[in-house]
This record gives sequence, C-alpha cells and structure tokens, in this order.
Amino acid sequence: MHPREGRKGRGVESLFTPSRRDFLQKSAASALLLGGGGSILAACSSGGTSGQVTGATSLPLPRPNHPVTWPIHPGNKAIKSGLAPEQNATLKIYNWTAYINQAVVNSFAKKYNCKVEVSTFNTMDEALAKIHSGQVQFDVFLGVTIDVLGPLIEQQFIQPINHSYIPNITQAWPDFQNPFYDGKWQYTTPYTIYTTGIAWRKDKVHEDPYTMSNPWAMPWQPKYKGKVAILDDYRESISLGLMKNGIFDLNTTNASQIAASGQALQNLAQLTNVQINNNDYTQIPAGQVWIHHAWSGDIAAALSYMPKGVPVDVVGYWFPTDGQGPVGNDLVTILKTATNPVLAHLFMNYMLDLPNVMTNISWNGYMQPLNEVTPQKLVQAQILPPSLMSTVVLPSYFRRGVMELQIPVSTNLLWEQAWQAASKGV
Amino acid sequence: MALRGLAQRAPQRGKHRLFWACLAAPGILWLTLLFIVPFYVVLAIAAGQLNQLFGTPIAEYNPLHWTTGNLSAAWRDIAGPSAYLGPIFVRTILYTAIASALCLLIGYPAAYFVARFAGPRRKVLMLVLLIAPFWISYMMRMLAWVDLLQTNGYVNSALQFLHLANHPVNWLSGQPVTVVLGLAYGYIPYLILVLYAGLDRIDPALIEAGRDLGLGKARTFMRVTLPLSRQPIMTGLLITVLPMLGDYFTNQLMSGATNTSMIGNVIDQQLSTPLFQGEGAVFSIFLLLILMVPMIYYVVATNRTSREAV
Repeated sequence: MHPREGRKGRGVESLFTPSRRDFLQKSAASALLLGGGGSILAACSSGGTSGQVTGATSLPLPRPNHPVTWPIHPGNKAIKSGLAPEQNATLKIYNWTAYINQAVVNSFAKKYNCKVEVSTFNTMDEALAKIHSGQVQFDVFLGVTIDVLGPLIEQQFIQPINHSYIPNITQAWPDFQNPFYDGKWQYTTPYTIYTTGIAWRKDKVHEDPYTMSNPWAMPWQPKYKGKVAILDDYRESISLGLMKNGIFDLNTTNASQIAASGQALQNLAQLTNVQINNNDYTQIPAGQVWIHHAWSGDIAAALSYMPKGVPVDVVGYWFPTDGQGPVGNDLVTILKTATNPVLAHLFMNYMLDLPNVMTNISWNGYMQPLNEVTPQKLVQAQILPPSLMSTVVLPSYFRRGVMELQIPVSTNLLWEQAWQAASKGV
Repeated sequence: MALRGLAQRAPQRGKHRLFWACLAAPGILWLTLLFIVPFYVVLAIAAGQLNQLFGTPIAEYNPLHWTTGNLSAAWRDIAGPSAYLGPIFVRTILYTAIASALCLLIGYPAAYFVARFAGPRRKVLMLVLLIAPFWISYMMRMLAWVDLLQTNGYVNSALQFLHLANHPVNWLSGQPVTVVLGLAYGYIPYLILVLYAGLDRIDPALIEAGRDLGLGKARTFMRVTLPLSRQPIMTGLLITVLPMLGDYFTNQLMSGATNTSMIGNVIDQQLSTPLFQGEGAVFSIFLLLILMVPMIYYVVATNRTSREAV
C-alpha cells in the first residue's frame, strides 16, 4: 500500500496517473507476476487469512502473529563488509512519484561525491513489471510495499543487506530490527509509516470523533450530505465499513462480514451522496468536504493547502488513541542487479539519519519511524501544526494497529465485488 | 457496335474498380487494424476465462471454446440478487437524452445564425469561434468548470452576490445537473459544427420559394428549413449521443459521487480491476450493441432520405 498513490487519486490528478486503488487492486497479480502464486494458491485452498505457512513450493503470508524470516539464497549473498563506496558512480533510485525530498537526494550526492538519479513509477504494479522484465537497472528500490516483499525475495530481485553499513538502524524503532514481514531485517529497512483515520473540519462539524462511541461511523450522518467522502481504495473503504460494524480483522475472508461492509457503504451513499476520491489533502483544507476518510500523511500536509485566511486549526484528524486502526508502512530495498551496492547501503543508512529524515518529512508529509521523530519534535520543527499531532504514527500504533495485508484471490474477489456494488464505478 | 463498345468498357470498369479499391485500401487496413482486430480481442476476452490465480482475463480466440462465465457475471450485476447496474443504465440514458436535447436547443440557433445570417466576414469569425473549443482538450475544458464551480469559485460568488443563494452550492458533489451540463458543454461544439455544415447547404432558393408562396418567417422555418435540417440534426445528435453514452470522464471530474455514476464509469472501473476485466469487456460489448441502435436508425434514415431525393 502506498500513500503516493493517494496523492494521485481519483480526482483531477488521477487523470494523469493511476490511483492508489489501482495498485491495491493489482497487488495480487503483481505478486504473482513475480512468482508468488504459490502463496495465494495455498491460501486459497486453505481459505485462511493469517498465519498459515504453506507448502515447500509456496510462499508464506507474513502476519504480525506469524512473522516470517526469509531465506538467504546461495546465489544471492549480501556484499562484504568494509568496502569503499563506488567512485564516479551514479546511484540509481527507483521510487514512487514525488516521494522523496530532492534536497535529501542532493545532500547525499554531495556527501558521497556521486551522482544520484531518481526514476519514478506510479503504481507498484508498474514498478514490478519493469523490474521483472529486466528493462530497468536500479540500485535502490524505494517505497516497496510489504505484500510484494516475499515474491521479490523468492525471485531474487532484491539482495540481502549487510548490516555493518547501516548503523543508523538503531535510530529506527526497535520493531524494524525484526519486523514480522522480514525477520532479522535481512532485506529491508523502513521508509514511511502512516495510519488511516477520519479527517474533519472542526468549524463545520460539531461532533468530535474523540467523544463518539463509534467514530468509524462518523461519515454516516445525513445532515452532512454532499460533504462526506471516503477513500477511493477498495481495501481501505471496505475496511472502513468493517470497522464501522465493529470488525477489526481487515483481512477477513468472512463473506457475510464483507457483504455487510459493502452494504454499509451503499447506505452511506444513500445517506450522504458520498464522494469517492483520494483528495483528502485538498478537500478538507478547502472545505469542499467536511468529513473525509483519510490518510495521516495527507492530512499532515494540510497546512500547505489551507486557503488564505483559514487557520489550519480547523482541520482535525482522528485515529483511535488505542492504536486499533489501519497502519501501513513501506520499505527500502536494494536490487540484486545493483551496480553500486555500497552506495545503496549508504543511502539506506542516510535515510535513517534524523536530520535527513526531518528534511524529508518536511516535504513529503509522511512520517518515518525513527525514535527521535516524535509529535513534539515535528511540532517544534514547525513541520507539523500542533492541532495535527494525531497524524503522527506512534510505535504503539504499529504494534497494536491492524494491517491490510495480502489476501487470497478468492477473498479478494469478494472484497472487490462488495466495493464495485458500493462505488458504482466511481 | 454496341456489343463491341460494351466489351471495350468492361476492362475499363475493371481498372476503375481496382483504382477505387486501391484508394480504399489504406482506410480498410486502418479499420481492420484499429477497429476489427481490437474488437475481436475484446470479444475474445469477454468470452474467455479468468485466471483464478492471477485474476487476469485469458482471451479465447477460438469461438468453439468460448464460455459464458463473464456474461453470467455481467448478468448477475444487472439482474441478480445483488444487482446494482439497473439504475446506472437508466441514469446513463436519461443524462444522455437531456444533455443531447440541451445541445440541440442551444446548438441549433447558433448554427442557424452562422449559416444564414452571419454574412461572409462574420461567418469566418464565427466559425473560428466555434472551432476554438477544439483547440483546448476536453479535459482542460472540464477542469476549467471544476475551478468555476468550486464552493469558493466564481459561480458561487456570483450567485451569492446576486442574492440567488444564501450559501455556496455544492456543485461538484453528486449534483446530476452539473454532470448533465458538463456533458452538454463538452459535446456541443461537435453538434454545432455538424448542424452548421448541414444548414449552410440548404439552398436559399427553397426558403425564398416558401416566402414567395406566402409563408411567414415562422412557417417558412417550420415547413421548409426544419424539414431540410432533419438530416444534419440526426447526424449531429448521433455524434453527441455516442460518446455521451460511454462517457466516464465528465462524471468522474464533476461529481465523483455514486448517485451520478454512469455505465462508462462502471466499465472504466472494471477494466482497471483484475478479476473483473472479462466482465468489463462484456459491458463494453453491451454498450456497443446499445450504440448500434441509433447508428442503424441513422443509416436506415439516411438511405431513405437519399432514395426520396432521387
């Protein structure tokens, strides 16, 4: 899952680029494209959702309650320790569109006396297809989503990392030294982290989700007809319906739960003429929408989109204080075909250093999970307005939050059907 | 002599036929490559199967192996217990009908004025103005409307200034009127140009004859001009109705809400969704079949008019 596609959602921007939904919808196919079919097949056959380890020819589905440590393949070893950075090199980074601060890229190039080229993609599907085809040769693959990690490793498209080059991992939350999707962080370091919650205009909506008995039901209010929007993302929005109905297994295979969620969204459409888009970061600041199902990183950037004379304090973002809501993060990896693997390792390390991370967040909006990146620090650095401290992702959220992870194709079909009936092609 | 003449003309006719066939060849090749082949691919996908693992469609090019799985799925969404497409079909036809009528109401007088009253100099200017919208892409024109119709846009400011509205109207969030006006605005230049071309060709002598025979201006228009405009009106409406029925872009941009969704939106969504691309192909063919109705009517009516003219 990726927030950049959120920025390129179903509104005006989506006319130029596919939506985040497009990626999510294709993620299963993407995984299979890279050879992860076995996991889905096995998952299909067992019908389970989490924690199952499948047969020898298939891939496991990592879950928080079923962590996975991937094998190191004999022909795909990490580079040796103590190597000097490549000279006169051009580090090639493959990244989502508009997902890294160019200032950070430039400062890395200056520090290591190299050139850096950033190439971009709009969907993970597109990126995987290019990597699979061998048409592209990059060093760093940035913003990789958890659900495609297994196939990338299994097909040996990414290489194991040598921890000796990445001392800054200690600056990251301890979770990322042994994350459930990559035990012992053999292949990945963390990049951004984000939550999905409810954004609202405090000056227009008088209910406070923090005092509501079921804040996930906040959009279901007919008095705000025409002023409500949900994310154009079948996993996120069906999850919203599930949580509204009190279900927090966001990878559920239960057909009746999925259908009930879809029905809840259809009711929402009838009640409020709900809009379906990923323009939370503009519509809430502009007051075009008063209640928007939203991504934390989008709302953290609200300050940049406020109309003249409207204080940012009018924007609110709710995420459950106990952390029981959708949390997502993505990763930095090094491709096996990297021609500058040492620089790539150094780049990984660079992106875990606090000053660089703060510079990156100041432009990117999306948080990075470092110990020192606290709500207070972001406010102090004037990166985040105090009123939007709730957009910050806390370690406890990552530990207790619920994640939308890869699901079996048969289940995916149910989710999609429910979404199509609810979204009616919008 | 006559027989010899016929014998001499026969090879000439053959040569002519070959000449015209050669002239038509690029067009036929173009049509084959860019319409018939892609259409058959869509048909093969619609009648093909679904890769249960990848969620991707498997095109079946051999008609003997065609299956009805995608057709059944499409029927489920049209008439099954969880059907949701009925209102969308009705809405699409309704929006298209209203927008086309609006186009005609606005476009006919404009085209009539340019064709009959603009005068040679002003006619050129008017034609340039009519063609001007084509210089700007459809998307940009819609984006301009999005800007104008924002809650803090000029339209709302004007309405409030004139005390026609107490608070900003939510034009862009599920308002059918916005979508219909958007469709009409987007496609009206096509209609006007076609109408102009047709009206400009009406022989002024026929109109004068009507006047000479004692008809007033209004009756001349009703008895002479309007009947002679029937063909351009039909052509113009066809040109606007066909793209409107498949339009998804206008609704997406100017509403984004489910209550204004059109069949084009459903097809767009399905074609971009693994597991649903086969069903999307079925709906594409459905839409094509629906579009065939006005097209066939047009062809029949045109032939009838040609025969009457002869």
